[in-house]
Amino acid sequence: MWNNMKTLTAIVFLGAASLRAQDAAIPQGAVNVNLPDNSPLTVKSFSVGDSRATARGAALALDLHMAATLLNSSTRRIHGVTLRVVAQEVTLGGKGSVTYPSLNVGPGENFQVRIDMQLMRPSSVTGGPLVQVDLDGVLFQDLSFFGPDRLNSRRTMTACEMEAQRDREHFKRILSQGGGKAALQREMLESMARQSEVSQLAVSVKRSGRAVTSAATGNEHDAEFAFLQFPDSPVEPIKGAARISGNEARAPHIEVRNNSNRPVKYVEMGWIVSDSSGKQYMAGSLPSADSDLVLPPGRSARLLQETTLNFSAKGQPVNVSKMVGFVNQVEFADGKIWVPNRQNLDNTLLLKVLPPSAEEQRLTDIYRKRGIDGLAAELGKF
Amino acid sequence: MKHPSQEILALHAGGDLGWMARWRTARHLADCEQCTAEVAAFDELRDTLPELRQIPEIPWNRIATEMRANIRLGLAAGECVRSSGQSLRDGPLFTGARAVVALASVLALMVTGLMLEGPAPRMAKSSEPMVQATVNGIQRRSGDQAFGLMHSGALRVTYSVGAQGTLGARYTDPETGNVTITRVYVE
Repeated sequence: MWNNMKTLTAIVFLGAASLRAQDAAIPQGAVNVNLPDNSPLTVKSFSVGDSRATARGAALALDLHMAATLLNSSTRRIHGVTLRVVAQEVTLGGKGSVTYPSLNVGPGENFQVRIDMQLMRPSSVTGGPLVQVDLDGVLFQDLSFFGPDRLNSRRTMTACEMEAQRDREHFKRILSQGGGKAALQREMLESMARQSEVSQLAVSVKRSGRAVTSAATGNEHDAEFAFLQFPDSPVEPIKGAARISGNEARAPHIEVRNNSNRPVKYVEMGWIVSDSSGKQYMAGSLPSADSDLVLPPGRSARLLQETTLNFSAKGQPVNVSKMVGFVNQVEFADGKIWVPNRQNLDNTLLLKVLPPSAEEQRLTDIYRKRGIDGLAAELGKF
Repeated sequence: MKHPSQEILALHAGGDLGWMARWRTARHLADCEQCTAEVAAFDELRDTLPELRQIPEIPWNRIATEMRANIRLGLAAGECVRSSGQSLRDGPLFTGARAVVALASVLALMVTGLMLEGPAPRMAKSSEPMVQATVNGIQRRSGDQAFGLMHSGALRVTYSVGAQGTLGARYTDPETGNVTITRVYVE
């Protein structure tokens, strides 16, 4: 009944906004937040604040600002939450997710989340709530999981948690060794310097075909991947290539072999590209298709994505000169996840190319705001 | 007295009006000092800025050359098909062959005009779904529909791309202090 009322409100609102073709506030009923009955999270408060719909020619631009306070109503500490955000029937296929990793929310504690969205849709289309927000998953401290996991948030958040544990241990080790807070401070400064030096690419991705905005030169050719090998990696990249044309890479594929004694169900390769001057950029990741891969020990498989990636930096196309791949993440059939250790990254100088983990980013933010004492106190909580 | 518009006067100054409009404007100018002065001012401007005669984005001169060439081609073709002993004025105005040649010339002109002045190849827009970063967020765009997750106010944003068709942005929310990862999907 409540959902029907919300839907009706949204329809009335959309119709009115379309007819009036001018700026209008978006009512709270236009957003439907749906948590399952047995959810470990409860919505304590929710608002759409200063959300507006504005007519732009024949289209309607919707500016949605959602804020919610969520309560951990479970008996376990929550370390990650993923919400699924769908613009129902409005922008066909408009789907996204918002993940909050590196949380540390105890039972009975609250935390705040914000979702800012922009939708552009023809003003003639009406029907359904504007946005549906569902819970996709909750990751607990013990790596147990709750949720429908439609967006593979279990794997994503578990990998984030593995990286978080790795990086917290790294910083705690520095703090506990001889140098103490002074050494930790140096490490933080180095991390911040690295973060500021990491060059970012602007990448657009589309399914198959050539990207329309590329500076593709037309002489498409196969370019081979070079690989960084990690001694303790359960999966070894063997060979791979992508079709390259100027600043465009198409249909990347990499063959990998499972060197471990456990079956693997997901592999994700990191992908670094160099421009003609040798400058390196983290281009993205090449994951195995979600449902296809079952890789028994000793066997090989091919990771292939029929997509086209288009690279640019600071508004200029970045022509791909070289490509380097490395194993970024492996999920075993039992759900356990492997990520490269800190030594792997240091030894291969990947730290200078890769962005920091979510946890390292959070810890450096804490250092910026609260200083070295605040950071040491934060590390002490884990 | 009703004066011609500035556009008409400017076109008249450049000799770009059709014959009827040119005749009407000339008649008006004969009795109107104000408009004559306007036309003179446009003439001066054209002399001062000769580069206006070749605006880079609109190659009028090239179009004119092409058109003249096509007209000559049409006339030459007409000469070829015309019987040798028959003068232009003696025969009927529209024989079958002449009509075909005239039509071909007009078509050639239209095609040339369209090729020269038609819209550039549509490289920047595609109705095919794609994910991309925008000024303050990431979005999935398909034609005139867009779905974006924004990170306004975030200072350091790290983007991550999945070759299966995802784009993610990671940042620290300036209001909640939470590390937040947004992601949009091509499909």
